[in-house]
Amino acid sequence: MNPIRPTPRTLTALTTYLLVIGMWQLGEGSWIYAKAGLAQHLLQRAWSRTLAGETGVKPWPWADTWPVARLIVPSQNIDQIVLEGAYGRTLAFGPGHVESAQPIGSSGTIILTGHRDTHFRFLQRLERNDVIELEAPTGIRRRYRVKETRIADSRSASIGIEQDQPQLVLVTCYPFDSPMPGTVWRYVVITEGEPG
Amino acid sequence: MTRHLFLRATLALGLSLGAGSLSLAPACGNELEQPDQTIGLNEVKGGRLLFKTNQPGRYLPAPTLKTEVRISVTGLIARATVSQEFLNPSPDKNSWTEGIYVFPLPETAAVDHLRMKIGERIIEGQIKEKAEAKKVYEQAKQEGKRTSLVEQERPNIFTTSVANIGPGERITVEIEYQETIRYDQGAFSLRFPMVVGPRYIPGTAVAMEDQPPGNGWSLDTDRVPDASRITPPVQHPAHTLINPINPVSPINPVSLSIDLAPGFPLGKLESPYHQILTIAEPDGRQHLTLREDTVPADRDFVLTWKPAHGQAPTVSVFREQRGNDQYAFLMAMPPVGSDHQPTAVARETIFVIDTSGSMSGTSIEQAKAALLLALNRLTSQDRFNVIQFNSVTHVLFSQAQPVKPETLRKAVHYVEQLKANGGTEILPALKMALKGSAPTSLLRQVIFLTDGQVGNEDELFEIIRTQLGTSRLFTIGIGSAPNSHFMRKAAEFGRGTFTHIGSTSEVQAQMDAIFRKLERPVLTDLRIEGLDGQIEMFPARIPDLYEGEPVVVVLKGPALPETVTIQGMIGSAPWTTSITLKNHEPREGLSVYWARQKVAALMDQQRYGQDETATKQAVLDVALAHHLVSKYTSLVAVDVTPVRPLDKTLQAHAMKTNLPDGQDYQAIFGLPQTATSGQLQILLGLATLLAARVTWAVRASRKRVA
Repeated sequence: MNPIRPTPRTLTALTTYLLVIGMWQLGEGSWIYAKAGLAQHLLQRAWSRTLAGETGVKPWPWADTWPVARLIVPSQNIDQIVLEGAYGRTLAFGPGHVESAQPIGSSGTIILTGHRDTHFRFLQRLERNDVIELEAPTGIRRRYRVKETRIADSRSASIGIEQDQPQLVLVTCYPFDSPMPGTVWRYVVITEGEPG
Repeated sequence: MTRHLFLRATLALGLSLGAGSLSLAPACGNELEQPDQTIGLNEVKGGRLLFKTNQPGRYLPAPTLKTEVRISVTGLIARATVSQEFLNPSPDKNSWTEGIYVFPLPETAAVDHLRMKIGERIIEGQIKEKAEAKKVYEQAKQEGKRTSLVEQERPNIFTTSVANIGPGERITVEIEYQETIRYDQGAFSLRFPMVVGPRYIPGTAVAMEDQPPGNGWSLDTDRVPDASRITPPVQHPAHTLINPINPVSPINPVSLSIDLAPGFPLGKLESPYHQILTIAEPDGRQHLTLREDTVPADRDFVLTWKPAHGQAPTVSVFREQRGNDQYAFLMAMPPVGSDHQPTAVARETIFVIDTSGSMSGTSIEQAKAALLLALNRLTSQDRFNVIQFNSVTHVLFSQAQPVKPETLRKAVHYVEQLKANGGTEILPALKMALKGSAPTSLLRQVIFLTDGQVGNEDELFEIIRTQLGTSRLFTIGIGSAPNSHFMRKAAEFGRGTFTHIGSTSEVQAQMDAIFRKLERPVLTDLRIEGLDGQIEMFPARIPDLYEGEPVVVVLKGPALPETVTIQGMIGSAPWTTSITLKNHEPREGLSVYWARQKVAALMDQQRYGQDETATKQAVLDVALAHHLVSKYTSLVAVDVTPVRPLDKTLQAHAMKTNLPDGQDYQAIFGLPQTATSGQLQILLGLATLLAARVTWAVRASRKRVA
């Protein structure tokens, strides 16, 4: 009935091939999550040194980025170290600070971005008035409250940069549970700094 | 199996995208209904138009602006009329508007006329000292009179302010300027800049007591005291889709027409970045328009033309008599031929490449391509180094290295890895590039690839002037809208040349031309004999000429000699040519050209350390006499009849400018990509393992059957 009758040898080869590919993909995929978790551990140490006054502390010798802030969300048990620069190579290790917006510690619009499936997965659970804290290398913490969440099209949306109103904007990819990378949608959380 | 999973995942994603776009659509609808209400940042949805007002945190949609450009070229002089139509789109009777538009002009432009058109009436602008013009404008503004003001912010950045535009009313402001046509490598070229690229503003923000802030996106800083005036709000590229005034037109649309009378039979006519329509007149003149009615002001317009073969002029002379003074403009081509060609000299070449955020997009790709080509042209007698800068400066080798396979390989790898990001701190890179010294047998050339989007030009010129030594600085402008004022002047102070590369397809040809040039300086030690002490000449010192460049000077004096002699050295052989100034057809506008050169020279003198008050007086003398807008003079027009009822207040609007074409919005204000392939890979991995299990089961059952 079936026109194709593969020999057991082909089947063995096919099975081996599928096993290898499967393990490889599984390994690669898990490595992304493992890296995201492990790196944060090393980053916490680099952050303590940053707080102690060192600048541009590299979390591991070959790193091309350094910690610039600590992001704390008490309601979500989130405590992450933010890295300078928002590129693929830094976002694997932690949320990134978008350099083209205002610098950390400024009282303008600070933009942070992170992967939707690792560090910034918690964004989907944030609600209005949730508290977010950002610790600058000076040790000063600023409290922000979630004001609005929205979904934006990355091809057309823009974030206005305020110079003199404290604001923290968190951005990640959307939808959260889609397995496909490379979406054009972004989930944007806009928070407002508390006075002081 | 795996492909199926891909398909299904794509489908699911497609569905979720559909849902997303639906939820955004109503938000855009709301914006269309209320185009002129201020909004807060948080009301902004996808693709909303944003720009700042003086009121922190509130944003206003801008009145639209239409620009019409007419340029008439005769020989080597271009006269351009730029009409900007300001419209207050508000239907609200109480909404009186002040419009402020920042726009670029060619860096050699001499602006000498301003006309304000209201309906059929035309009001001519008067040239006044800057502060006085501002006062006249402010007073008319307070009194409710229509008024307009043209000011120079930088030699290539101007602002037009218009006050008291009534609701639904249009005002046309027309400015006229003159510039000279550039002639290089046998081709004539005209450039009309259309957009002020976002400039990197170094320093820390400061508030100036004596100077109200402008409406730009940057605050004034200690290093760029007028930052807020030269940084117009940036138009989002996708804005064209939901412009509330006109749903299909881009903001600040530009229409352009050119009348070209080259003065010789045309061989080739080209507009590399815009599509044009050409109609030839019987007398050899050409009438050109853009193929599209209007284009968005997102890239500079360039027109180049070449004479038919064998028709290239070797000498051009024009004269003008104005008042008691005579003016002459002359251009002479040095001989080009194999017998005059000096051989390539050994060089130490320092490449400096800008990898700042403003270079992201096609600019960095062009710069990398250009650099790789340049590395390719180095010979074994040369030495080289590569420096990159953004917020920080990074050097490839601690000092210049001889060209060897290893060093070259390293350099190629280095260049291929370059990425654009961060600020534009040119200063340390410039210092680094000028610092080293080459053995005397080597010609030291610094090649600077950048878009020059900086605001602290003066600080940089000072460094070049004081630290140049024996080096020569060549600037290469990259991208659709480089800051050519900075780059031309930097090259001038650096005793080199400036080249603009506007599109990726030009990189190869242009870089080849530049390097052929750099390898062979043609004419050095140039001077003009036969001028008496009463004649003022610009440029006062003629720079070295490279292959394909002409000598261009302008003279002014009570009586010009009948002939002048140009002398120089080709390699080690002397070269002379005599030019008759008599019996040449008179041409208007030479005096304006001369005055513009004089003002530029005076401003340079100030950079060389002359006292500012002396410079100011000297510039005022020339600019007021020739009706020129300069750093110290502005044009102002006032309509005598008040139109705005004095109980209505005036709102200030800044006109947005488009981002230069190819510059990446995302790199400036945008949102990076933030999804990993982790989940997908794990799913694929599990699916493949499952498939392995199935094939194994099949194999087992086969065995049993067998």
